[in-house]
Amino acid sequence: MGYKYRLEILAVVAVLIFCALFLYTSSIMGNAKYTGSDMVGAEKIAWLAGVPADEIVPLIPQWVPPSGEIESALFALQAAIGGIMVGLVFGYWIGQKKGTKST
Amino acid sequence: MHIMEGFLPWQWCLVWWIFAIPCLVYGVYLLKKVLDADREALPLLGVTGGFIFILSSLKLPSVTGSCSHPTGTGLSAICFGPWITSVVCAIVLLFQALFLAHGGLSVLGANIVSMGIVGPLAGYAVYRALRETRVNMFLTVFLACALADMFTYFTTSLELALAYPAQVGGVGSSFILFMGIFAVTQVPLAIVEGVVLALVFKYIVQLKPDILFRMNVFPEAKINAARNDT
Repeated sequence: MGYKYRLEILAVVAVLIFCALFLYTSSIMGNAKYTGSDMVGAEKIAWLAGVPADEIVPLIPQWVPPSGEIESALFALQAAIGGIMVGLVFGYWIGQKKGTKST
Repeated sequence: MHIMEGFLPWQWCLVWWIFAIPCLVYGVYLLKKVLDADREALPLLGVTGGFIFILSSLKLPSVTGSCSHPTGTGLSAICFGPWITSVVCAIVLLFQALFLAHGGLSVLGANIVSMGIVGPLAGYAVYRALRETRVNMFLTVFLACALADMFTYFTTSLELALAYPAQVGGVGSSFILFMGIFAVTQVPLAIVEGVVLALVFKYIVQLKPDILFRMNVFPEAKINAARNDT
């Protein structure tokens, strides 16, 4: 009985610790920019290759979202697609389970 | 974990594409086989694939003062194996390359190898090693998911280190440099991802245990024990 929700509790605790860790580190690192690690990696590549990062050109021409707003919209769309799939299937399974119980 | 477009010399792009393509072809073949064998596998693929879509879109801040995202591939690797997982990852990575300028078409092969192949393979190996043991089922899922995440970033670091060996110390010191960026940032994210996906797996066990029996994801005794426990 006491074990029933242990995974839920663990998940909430993990997320809370994660948030607390973020609040703590962001308060002691005043100059942290929180850019993507992709970008930080790209800067190191530029440094290792000895050329400025903005002079590295795409091998295959690429469309870049014109602003952060548009980028966040497309990321939200990606998450929404995933969320719809997950919600649809869990709903389908719950329905199946109810259906078999009543017959 | 995205290597950005243009940031990998074309020779290396080619090498990683050569690794990636046979895996994807095999993945598509397996996917068709699994779905033909059992139509109820498709909803399970929807859940595990859905979490790859969701988790890989969340860019979370980490202790290093930069942001990174989880991969979500572990659950799919456990249920469907690494090759089918690589097909789902390829779709996500293609979306991000085309519309988000995260990664790109030339580096897609390298990104598929890290997120879609090596990461899921590592998670799958952990899962296979622990599947028949007495280790708790949810702990196994946690470890597989967290390690699939970590190995994705180890691989990205290695791909970059091979392409850009440091003048002093060569590939080894480049690898350590990139690990400092990617892997350290990833540790807290991998732990949270592992816990969340273990919780998701618990709900799959509760709602649809028969698909897990049929696909032989875990021994029946283990799944039944977990169902009675909750």
